[in-house]
Order: sequence, then structure tokens, then C-alpha cells
Amino acid sequence: MTLRIILADDHTILRNGLRLLLERQSDFSVVGEAGNGREAVDLVSQELPDVIILDIAMPILNGIEAAQRISAAHPKIAVIMLSVHSDESYILRALKAGARGYLLKDSPEGDLIQAVRAVASGKAFFSPAVSKVLADDYVRQVRQHGLVDPYDLLTARERELLQLIVELKPTKEIAELLNLSPYTIDTHRGNLMQKLNVHSIPELILYAVRKRIIQ
Amino acid sequence: MSPSGTQTRRLLLVGFGGILLLLALTGLNAVSVLRTIQTRNEQIRQDYLNRERILEQLRSDIYLSGTYARDLLLEPDPARAEVHRSELEGARSRIESMIGEYAGILRGEEHEAFQRFEREVSSYFDSLRPALQWNAEQRRALGYRYMQNSLLPRRMVIVHLADQISGINQKQLEAGSRDVAALFADFRRSLLTLLLVTLACGVALAAGSMSRILRLERLSAARFEEVVQTRAALRDLSARLVEVQETERRALSRELHDEVGQSLSALLLTIDNVAATLPPGGNPESRAQLLEIRRLAERTVTVVRDMSLLLRPSMLDDLGLVPALQWQAREISRNNNLRIDVEADPSSEDLPEDHKTCVYRIVQEALRNVTRHARAKSVHIRLTHPDGTLRLTVQDDGQGFVPEREKGMGLLGMEERVSYLNGAFKVNSQPGKGTVIHVELPLATGET
Repeated sequence: MTLRIILADDHTILRNGLRLLLERQSDFSVVGEAGNGREAVDLVSQELPDVIILDIAMPILNGIEAAQRISAAHPKIAVIMLSVHSDESYILRALKAGARGYLLKDSPEGDLIQAVRAVASGKAFFSPAVSKVLADDYVRQVRQHGLVDPYDLLTARERELLQLIVELKPTKEIAELLNLSPYTIDTHRGNLMQKLNVHSIPELILYAVRKRIIQ
Repeated sequence: MSPSGTQTRRLLLVGFGGILLLLALTGLNAVSVLRTIQTRNEQIRQDYLNRERILEQLRSDIYLSGTYARDLLLEPDPARAEVHRSELEGARSRIESMIGEYAGILRGEEHEAFQRFEREVSSYFDSLRPALQWNAEQRRALGYRYMQNSLLPRRMVIVHLADQISGINQKQLEAGSRDVAALFADFRRSLLTLLLVTLACGVALAAGSMSRILRLERLSAARFEEVVQTRAALRDLSARLVEVQETERRALSRELHDEVGQSLSALLLTIDNVAATLPPGGNPESRAQLLEIRRLAERTVTVVRDMSLLLRPSMLDDLGLVPALQWQAREISRNNNLRIDVEADPSSEDLPEDHKTCVYRIVQEALRNVTRHARAKSVHIRLTHPDGTLRLTVQDDGQGFVPEREKGMGLLGMEERVSYLNGAFKVNSQPGKGTVIHVELPLATGET
């Protein structure tokens, strides 16, 4: 089965390079290219690809806004955000806009391929460089503030649940895997988020990246 | 001193000096005139009293002379008669000496009456002379009749004449008093005139001074206005300077990020593409060189990104102030082993663009100072904006400094940025006590 991909970046050379890289994979097919966010949104509605790779900084409609519209209209389509920023503010924004992957522009070729495959199969993916920065920041903050890492407060069940949630598995699937009712899963998730002092799934994913629960 | 100042000084000196001189002259004149009048008055009175005294004496001596003559004429005893005669002679000589005295002080109208008086006195004594030579017999025989017919009537005439002179004297006294009164009236007039002149001069001087003062005041108000305008223009200029700088930085940053950055990213991709097309097991040296190029390009990407972020962090435009501050805090914290807390109102994103840039730049500069000089362990950044005023504090626990002595360009730049938004900037620091930077910016729009 071929993975259908759309590329959105306002720089043609960059798009060309990406296309070359992606199309070297026999099961990848770039079905469209967009030069700004609006074009990307329109193109996605026409082509209904499996994956859209969006540059964050684009004219007319930026990548974050475009991701928001795309994931609202087509939740099945996987969004990878392409950016030069490894800062968590951007990552959280991207996650809140519905992106499942976050890739730095200077990542090596392998990361891009890996990211496409990961998000296409419903998983999250972050550039290893990003994961490293986030994890380091987290460790440093915990140390500087002399805090107890809330991860230590989680029960084994909650840790298991956290892993499954950030792997973006649907509640139904998690319930089956853990042999629990979806209602119980919801309760566990509530407790989990309260303990970690996070208020949304994107924040939870960010936390997981910091803790290197996902790469 | 300016020429106009010298002129003013001369004008005031002449004006006030003139008025004071006029007043002094008026006073001196008044004193002298009053003294003259007083002297004159006294003189007239003394003169009158003197004349009256002489006349009185004359009258009484003439009266006495009659009495002595009568006593002589009626005296049978020759020895006693001799006594009376000598008394009479005494009276006569007194009368003559007094006439002599009075003649010395004679005045105008008196002449005629006095000459008659003198004539009468002399004819009175002349008529007496034969009778004085009479013996006792003759005196007894003729005395009484002579007395009744000649002596007493003559005496009456003389006394009457003396009264007349006294009357003239009285009149002269009154005339003198009138003169004095006239003199006084003259004096009053001249005093009044002088005072009026002084007053007029004073009023003129006051008016002149006032108009000059008003002119100077207008002039200084105009100058002040000019200064205010110049200062406003200067502030405008410096605001525009900051604005231009900010715009320029943003443009440069965008250029670096969008053009250079993207090209470098594309370069990286191309390198990867080339690497992928190299035949497996091909020239290992080419592969190594390609890897080297990639590392170089990666390093350049990092440099360009850092430069771009330093010029104008895209977070500020992409994500807003608070994420940008947090990013900044994390960046610096990462590189300096420094704990930096950012405490900010979530609604800070609604702040005007200029204010956000100002806050960001101040925090950037303050953190730069902290990492360079403070040797701090932690920094607390706090941004609130209740009741229409934005308050920013950046507090560190470093070694501090003396703000009056070591105000570097960084602090001056912060102050400049704050002042063009009409804000207040304050640095509290002491050696060993850390540093706090306080910024207050008014948020109400449309104010000057």
C-alpha cells in the first residue's frame, strides 16, 4: 500500500529536496505541494492524503492554523509539523493544533522517513534533537526547583495507561488491552493528569516526550 | 549678561533712583520751607512784641512825665521840686532813648504817625522847658493853669498818637501773619506738585517695568514652549529610532530565517539526497567529505538561527509575549545554570505590540546583564497589568552593584525604551543584595 503525502512549505527548493527524499521510498508518493497554509488546506480536502507535512512559518495561513483546520476537518489525516524551533512552546502549539509529528528542518533524512511512517501508523513522532532538549530542560527544572518528579507518584497502572495514551491509541483499544471498561479508563486518565498537573492531551504528550516515554 | 539685561538694569536704576531722589528733594525742601516759615512767624511775633513793649514803655513814661511835671508844678518846697525835676529829666531821657530805639526799627506806614509822635513829644518837652525854670512863686501862680491848658492836653495827644502807632503795629502783625499764610499756601502747592510729579513718575516706572516683565514672561514662556517641543521632538525621534531598529531587526531576522535558513535546510536535504544516490560501497572518501559538508551546514544553520533569534525572536510574533519570555528563560537557563521563573498574566498577549516588544527587550537585556555580571543563582521575572498599568520586575539574587556609579549602556537603553512609552524605570541594587529592575508602563491609549 502506498502512503500518499502532501508537502506544504513556501520554499520551493526545500520542497524539492523533501520530495526527492520521500520519493526514494518506494511506498511513498507525494501527491501534491502547497506554497502556503491556505493552499495546503484546499489541497488536503481534494486529495485526502495519508500524511501532510506542514512548515510552521508560511505566508497567508501559517502551519499551526492550517494544521488546526485540517485536523478539525479530517481527523484521520496525520499532520507532521516542520519547524526550525526546538522550543516547547512551539511543540505544544503544534500538538494543540492536532499535529502528531514534530520535525526539525535540519533533521537527518532518516528522521523524516521514520516520522512519516510513525504518524501514518497512528503514533506520535518527535525529532530526537527535540526530545533531547525537552528531556534535558525537564531534568534541569526539576533539579533547580528541588521538585519531586510527579512521575514517581504514578501507580504502575497509570504509567501503563500513560504510555498507551501518548501512543495515541483510542480509548476503546486501551480498554481492551488493559481489560478494563472505557469508563474506568476515563477515571484513570483524570487521576493521571491531575497528578502530573497537565490539562490536555497535548500537554500530556509533551510531558511524555520530556520523560522520554515516547521518542 | 545680555545687552537687554544691561538695559533693563539701567532703566530700573534710573527710574527708581530718580523717584527716590525726587522724594528726598521734596522732603528736604519741605523741611527747609517749614523752618523758614516758622522762623518768619517767630520773627514777626518777636518784632511785634518788641514794638509793643517799647510803645508801652513810652506811653507809661510819657504818662509818668506828666505826673512828675504836675508834682513839680504843684510843689512849694524847692528841695522837693528839685527831686521832681530830676525825675522828670530822667523820664525825658528815657523817652528820648526809646524814641531813638524805635526809630531804628520803623517800618512803612508807621513813619508818618511816628514823625508826628516825635514832633509832639519834642514840642511837649519844649513847652515844658520855661515852666521848669519857674520859681516857687511862679509855679504856684501859673502852675495849675499851665497844667490844665497845656501839659495835660499835650500829653493826651501824645498818648493818643502812641495808641495809633500801636494800632498800625497790630495791623502789620496781621499783614505778617497773612504773608506767612500765603507762604504756607505756596509751600503746600509746591509740595503737592512735587508729590504729583513723583507719583506720575512712579506710575510711569511701574507701567514700564510691568510691561517689560510681561514681555520677558511671554518671551520665557515661548522659550519654554520651544524647549518642551524640542524635547517632545527628541523623544519622538528616539521612539522612531527604536521603532526603526526593531523593524530593521525584524526584517533582518526574517531574511535570515526565511532565505538563508531555508536555503541551508534545502542544502542539508540536498546533501542527504546526494548521499543517498552514492552507490553502496562506493568511494568512502566522498562519503566522509559529504558528511563533513553536512556537519558544516548544520553548524551554519545553528549560527544563522541563533542570529535570527537574537535579532527578533520569531516566538514574539508567532506565539506571543509569554511563550517568548519563557523560551528566552529556558534558553538562558540551559546555557548558564541559572534558575529563571517567569510569572506572567495570561492576558499579556492583549498588550499593545510596542509594549510587548519593550517588555521582551528589557527582559532580554536584563538577563544578559545577569549572566554577564551578577553571578546569580536565580532570576524571577514578573509581569502583571492590573488597573491600566503594566508592571514588570526582573529580580536576581546576584552580587548587585551601585546603580549611580555603574550605569552601563544596557540600563540606559532600557530606560530609553521605557521613557518613550511614558513609563517609569527604576533599578534597585546594592553590592551583595542582588538587583531588581522595576518598569511601569501606562496602558491607556491616546495619551501623551
